[in-house]
Amino acid sequence: MRTPAKGLDRLWIAAFLAPFLVLFLGFTLWPLAATVYYSFFDWSGMGPIETFVGAGNYTSIVQDELFWLAVGNTVLFAVVNTAIKLPLSLVAAIFMTRRWVRLKRVFRTMFFAPLVIPVAMAGMVFTYLLNPSNGALNSILRDLGIIEKSFDVFASRWSAMLALVLVSIWQIFGQYMLYWMAALQNVPEEVYEAADLDGASEWTKLTRITLPLIKPVAVIILLLALVNAMHVFGLVVTLTGGGPGTSTYVVSYFIYQEAFGSIPFQYGYASAAALLFSFLAFILVSGQGLIVKRAQELRKEYGV
Amino acid sequence: MTARRWTVTLVMLVVGAVWAYPFLWTISAAFKTQQGMFTGGASLMPDLWSFENFERAWVNAGFSRFFANTVLYTVSSTLIELVKSALCGYVIARYRFPGRDFLHKMIIATLFVPVASIIVPQFVLIEQLGLLNTRAGVILAMSGAAGALYVLLFIGFFSSVPDELFEAAKMDGAGFLRTFSLILPLAKPVIAVVVIFQFIANWNEFNIPLVFTLGQPELQNLAVGMLSFQGEHVTDWTGFAAGMTISFAPMLIIFLFFQKYFVRGLAGATKG
Repeated sequence: MRTPAKGLDRLWIAAFLAPFLVLFLGFTLWPLAATVYYSFFDWSGMGPIETFVGAGNYTSIVQDELFWLAVGNTVLFAVVNTAIKLPLSLVAAIFMTRRWVRLKRVFRTMFFAPLVIPVAMAGMVFTYLLNPSNGALNSILRDLGIIEKSFDVFASRWSAMLALVLVSIWQIFGQYMLYWMAALQNVPEEVYEAADLDGASEWTKLTRITLPLIKPVAVIILLLALVNAMHVFGLVVTLTGGGPGTSTYVVSYFIYQEAFGSIPFQYGYASAAALLFSFLAFILVSGQGLIVKRAQELRKEYGV
Repeated sequence: MTARRWTVTLVMLVVGAVWAYPFLWTISAAFKTQQGMFTGGASLMPDLWSFENFERAWVNAGFSRFFANTVLYTVSSTLIELVKSALCGYVIARYRFPGRDFLHKMIIATLFVPVASIIVPQFVLIEQLGLLNTRAGVILAMSGAAGALYVLLFIGFFSSVPDELFEAAKMDGAGFLRTFSLILPLAKPVIAVVVIFQFIANWNEFNIPLVFTLGQPELQNLAVGMLSFQGEHVTDWTGFAAGMTISFAPMLIIFLFFQKYFVRGLAGATKG
């Protein structure tokens, strides 16, 4: 039940709201509005904003091949990254919440450790580990006789993208394992014990007990995973630098390069790119949300 | 049962070893000499145990300053984020006031706004406030950017506190502030989650410090400082590894001490 605000309480309510409201206005709402505004101008960040170009920025963005390459890379990165990390971290989390699994503290620490490395630094470590001349990956593969000649992961677009996806999973895995573990804590152990008595297989337990029980949280985890993956930035800066050439550009890197990368800064252009991408991302994410919802309705209809 | 237990343990150990390898490699590289690093390949054993790299990173390369900046940014931003989201969440959950529903909806709507896409106006705002290239500017931008998720966590939690508690507080004649100070300690699990997540996120923050400290090494945090260090000392990988080790060691120790609260806190916050 919510108490109506009255008397002196009103002052307190205003005081409690103020810190959040001020920052929310300044760093979220106003920037959103300003991004829309800037996107209609040709503005380098210096001097007054006066060169109105209408939809000019948008028409150039739509024709900018680099932008579409960045969009494609970002979506590809987000989808592949999510498709690998969510199921794997769920499996890991399931094991980590079972009583009979040993050494849980050790595993938890191992999986969690990469989280305390800033993602940009992780990128730098891996540029060394993956380098062709004396990096660990090439020297291990050579020692094992799997390859004869060293190869450069960062020489082609696809292997560089794969490296981005895998390093990102390496870094963030523990966080998603933790999300799943928290979700799984709401599933009572007794349910599994009862299923064990009935001789249920692990697969049956997963699909019939675990997934249905954690579904509401799972949808949120899925959305978080997709959206966070679409913001990938630091890793691209340090691991591939958008290369080879510009072939691993992602949208946040594109925006950064346009806005702050080289003089003259192109704030207007970068803002238009940011908005267009936010719009595309919104459609992608909400479309995915709709599919999940529709699937749930269908399941209800058929009673499965 | 035992066969399964051993298989799972073995598989997890192998995967865990792969997971830990880049970590261990970095730590061992911090003790290697340049020569040992270059010829060492995948080896985790330093050729000579040398502490010289740490000294070089800490003193010459300015990691002591990056470290101090990171601690300052992380602690202040986490505190500001905690306070603003707890206060706002409490009021939205327990009181009716004009614009309440609208505000709640706006917070949900902006949950997924990417920071990277609105960083230009944030930059302009900090510049207008005269805070560009100051520590206050970085802190403000870092603590202003995130928060919608945490407010929602607090709203969820405070809404689930039984009304009887509030009635009882009222009966005892507790005013607005007194009631809040009675209820707040109940929110420990949510507070733990906000602090832990935001502490990690702020410690690792890269985008905001990068943009807001362009060309100002004395203001940079570890993540950004590391990048400029690499730019200036392209070949000093052992110094870089030492800098890395310095930057993640404290977080790792904190995690080892508090890891059980991570899961417990998160589980507590998502319930209800």
